[in-house]
Amino acid sequence: MTARTLAWTGFIAIAAFVLMAASRLTLLDPVENLTLNVTAPVQTAMRDATRPIADWVNNFTDARALSDENKSLRDENERLTNELARAREAQVQAQNAQDLDAVRRQFPNDTFLSASVVSRDASNLRSLVAIDRGSADGVKEGMIVVTEGRSLVGTVSKVYDGYSWIMLITDPKSAVSAIVQESRAQGVVAGNYDGALNMEFVGQGAAVKQGDFVITSGVGGGYPPGIVIGRVANIGKTEQDLFQRVQVDYLASLTKLDHVLVLTSFEPNRLPKP
Amino acid sequence: MRYWTGGGIAIILALLQAASIEQFKVLGVAPNLMLVLLVSWLVVRGLDDVLPMLFVAGVTLGLVGSQTPGLVLLALLPIAGLGVVRELHVVHSDALLVLALVLAASVAYELVLLASVMASGGVLDVATAFTHAVLPAAIVNLALTPPVYLVMRFAKPAGPRRRLAY
Repeated sequence: MTARTLAWTGFIAIAAFVLMAASRLTLLDPVENLTLNVTAPVQTAMRDATRPIADWVNNFTDARALSDENKSLRDENERLTNELARAREAQVQAQNAQDLDAVRRQFPNDTFLSASVVSRDASNLRSLVAIDRGSADGVKEGMIVVTEGRSLVGTVSKVYDGYSWIMLITDPKSAVSAIVQESRAQGVVAGNYDGALNMEFVGQGAAVKQGDFVITSGVGGGYPPGIVIGRVANIGKTEQDLFQRVQVDYLASLTKLDHVLVLTSFEPNRLPKP
Repeated sequence: MRYWTGGGIAIILALLQAASIEQFKVLGVAPNLMLVLLVSWLVVRGLDDVLPMLFVAGVTLGLVGSQTPGLVLLALLPIAGLGVVRELHVVHSDALLVLALVLAASVAYELVLLASVMASGGVLDVATAFTHAVLPAAIVNLALTPPVYLVMRFAKPAGPRRRLAY
């Protein structure tokens, strides 16, 4: 190893730690905002240019048609499932006037901000997307993001002037207080490294069935209640376990997000520790 | 290679990685074309050529991606250490060497990112992370290596001391 190589290696190592520290102190936010501003159109063009190849690679035959049809069917399915879920939810809520009032108080006027996905996380360990709306548009950290069909997508995790990063519900750092709509069993829907959603802390006695809807519970104040997350896909329980292992199929088409809605009328109000 | 040429290529690589590569998911993971290209370039041309490119690519991907700027740079840094293996001529076949280095660099890259996610409050399920992200990513990168390496190899032939061997 030459002196020049050693110098470069040392320089890169130091630069890595300096950049991490600067980012932690939010000193790099203007630079990141500017970089995203400059590169977003380039990234969109690159993604559009390579999408047919990606579709072909992913589907092998009749790529575009299959992909488009699949997307439109998923969107339709999501819309219909949401309607069904909302109808069921309305039925359940109607039986409990107190809950209904609480929901109404929390959603006096839903206002949404439409945004386009401009970038995605490039690593295999995180699930994040960048949208073209930021603090200049009124976006704040912690705000909820849903699809046009009103299924939960995730939360705003980092905000710049003109852009924001959204942490998807499948991210390993995501945890959403949720209930199973039919049985009202409570739990926490958490992401994992394999991209699957698991509902944790569901008691052994809770009656959970495959196909049940999983919606946000509103517990903790981080999410409004009643937003559809997905449906129960699998349930695993053994007598030794304290909790059931509930796998959830998310409803939103998270792998092919183009447009999302930021729920600007709801700001998280996390409860202080007792 | 002139710095500006290498820097330009590195920026395009990082943008391509951020914008397009995540669409090409195999085994549930996206290949890391940037890492494969950097390691292939390392084997073909040596550390002196690849380190400036590594710096520019790492900084750019850190700025356009969701990771903390500097973290990608840190995750790519093991490539510099692996460059020493090349200099030692432990493996005489360049084709085998590039495969071994891509495998090692991929695992190191994913492990650094995994450590960061876990340190910042992510799920502590190391087994799932290893079987669903780290290992598949290394395999996919390995599969991508032969064509990338051959393109690199023939785009810029190495000096007389380093021959393509099988």
